[in-house]
Amino acid sequence: MHPILENRQRLTLYLLAWFPIAAILTAVLRRGFESWPEAALVALPMSLLYAFMCLSAWYVCLAVPMRDQTTLRLLATLSIASALSSAVWFAAGAVWALAIEPWVDLLPGLSERYNAQFTPIFLNGVTLFLLAAAVHYLLVTLDASRGVEKRALELQVLAREAELKALRAQIDPHFLFNSLNSISALTVSDPQGARSMCLLLADFLRTSLVLGAKQQIPVSEELRLVEGFLSIEKIRYGNRLSVERSVGPECDGCLVPPLLIQPLVENAIRHGIAPLIEGGTVRLDIQRAGPAIEILLENPIDPQGTQRVQTGAGLGLENVKSRLARLFPGQANVNVSRDEDRFQVRLRFPCIRLGETQ
Amino acid sequence: MNALRIVIADDEDLARSVVREYLKDSIDIEIVAECRNGFEAVKAVSELKPDLLLLDIQMPRLDGFEVLELIERETNVIFTTAYDQYAIKAFGVHAIDYLLKPFSAERLAEALDRARKKIDRGEPTATAAMAADARPPGTRPDRILIRDGSDVHVVPMARIDYVEAQDDYVCFRAEGKRYLKQQTLADVETILEPARFVRIHRSYILNVDRLAKLELYAKDSHAAILRDGTRLPVSRSGYARLNSLIG
Repeated sequence: MHPILENRQRLTLYLLAWFPIAAILTAVLRRGFESWPEAALVALPMSLLYAFMCLSAWYVCLAVPMRDQTTLRLLATLSIASALSSAVWFAAGAVWALAIEPWVDLLPGLSERYNAQFTPIFLNGVTLFLLAAAVHYLLVTLDASRGVEKRALELQVLAREAELKALRAQIDPHFLFNSLNSISALTVSDPQGARSMCLLLADFLRTSLVLGAKQQIPVSEELRLVEGFLSIEKIRYGNRLSVERSVGPECDGCLVPPLLIQPLVENAIRHGIAPLIEGGTVRLDIQRAGPAIEILLENPIDPQGTQRVQTGAGLGLENVKSRLARLFPGQANVNVSRDEDRFQVRLRFPCIRLGETQ
Repeated sequence: MNALRIVIADDEDLARSVVREYLKDSIDIEIVAECRNGFEAVKAVSELKPDLLLLDIQMPRLDGFEVLELIERETNVIFTTAYDQYAIKAFGVHAIDYLLKPFSAERLAEALDRARKKIDRGEPTATAAMAADARPPGTRPDRILIRDGSDVHVVPMARIDYVEAQDDYVCFRAEGKRYLKQQTLADVETILEPARFVRIHRSYILNVDRLAKLELYAKDSHAAILRDGTRLPVSRSGYARLNSLIG
């Protein structure tokens, strides 16, 4: 793609720039010619010709890309190219002068006077070509950097879309349906309870939508979401579900990606507590460990349970892993361990406080 | 008209209470039991022989389909679940209806009506064999379910040492315990993982992880010695199969 020919606006600007150049060239040639009209008669067509010849500087850009060539090679190529095109240009001018000499009675000896000016014309040609090459290099670089910028933007959009998709997938529709079923059950037996569950559910959904749209949130906000979720699940599971949590006071200001902990708690209940006849206790422990924050989630599992229940948990965990890896490249650690009757997830990543940047 | 005798199986108190609430004023319906998990459901159905089972699918220990597999008599079933992805499977076990939670009183009444008509016509109902067949093709159960009276044993495949044919029954040996199930050894062979279990003899299937060594005790005749010292006979073709598996 030629950086000037492909773009109408640039081509117009480029050609306009040649008007002053043509004027300057006329002034330069005037010294060797008899009169201004005579100089203009030669200089103007030559300028027009050279305007197009200089577009070929693009081929130099292609042949010798700026970034991976030595300065020496670049200089050599440019010198040869500019000398060559200038020489061709001078020759074309000579042919033109020779051609118009018999046509215009007023200008005997025009060709001779032209040829005598070889040095200034040639030097002008070289200079103009070099200038044109500089412009081409500039435009090529500009286009390349714009392309990179555009690709980076596209990547960002893609990543954001993927993240949103992941978030949407995280809010389990069955959680909603089961909660609605609980509300339906409560409406007659306990209307107050039904209302409070409606409010809890609305609050949870709204909060997860608001938080989900953010990049990072304080851990306390995520914990509020977790609490909201747990109050709903407690209504469903009754005394089969109990929760033990401890949060170190120094974790308060730490930032976490939104909806990081809540889906893990959801998994712990769905795959840990729900399959147990007597239920059990989910343990959530959040502590500072030096510059890092450490989140531990533990739930009992049915020793006679089957492997099939782990596929869902696996997906949720993969999601957590990839999000942390993207946010803290090389600094996040996700550790999953299971034995006969316990399942444990341990997350560890740098604690960044509000206002700090990574 | 006889009252329809119903068992409700659901692990959530509130989910059971909504059904109870819907049926409160129906005089032709009697709730004979409420069960909180699969074990209770199997027990209640075998002991109380209800006309209809309202069955949740996601329950602790045994899911709804496993409950059906274990119930040895024909039972009319209406599934109740928040998950829509089991509908085809439910159709495969001739479920009368498939209610998606939350459902309305009208929707439940419609399902019960359908059940009553079906019972009156004497149409086929869900059976254990169908429940087993309804498992998606290519997947194997990762545990064996064994009824013992009204108790249910769940034995993970990996814990089975070997299976022995005994007349009309097969005997599963796992961690020193024996579990009898009315089944043929050939049927057992089809559900066991072929990479781990080998038919070593007309009457034996062995978990190769338990094999300690093979002894030649007569011409063409071997015995498998297990890690716990048990000796099992190995037939000639069984020896060939064993060799091809463990190389």
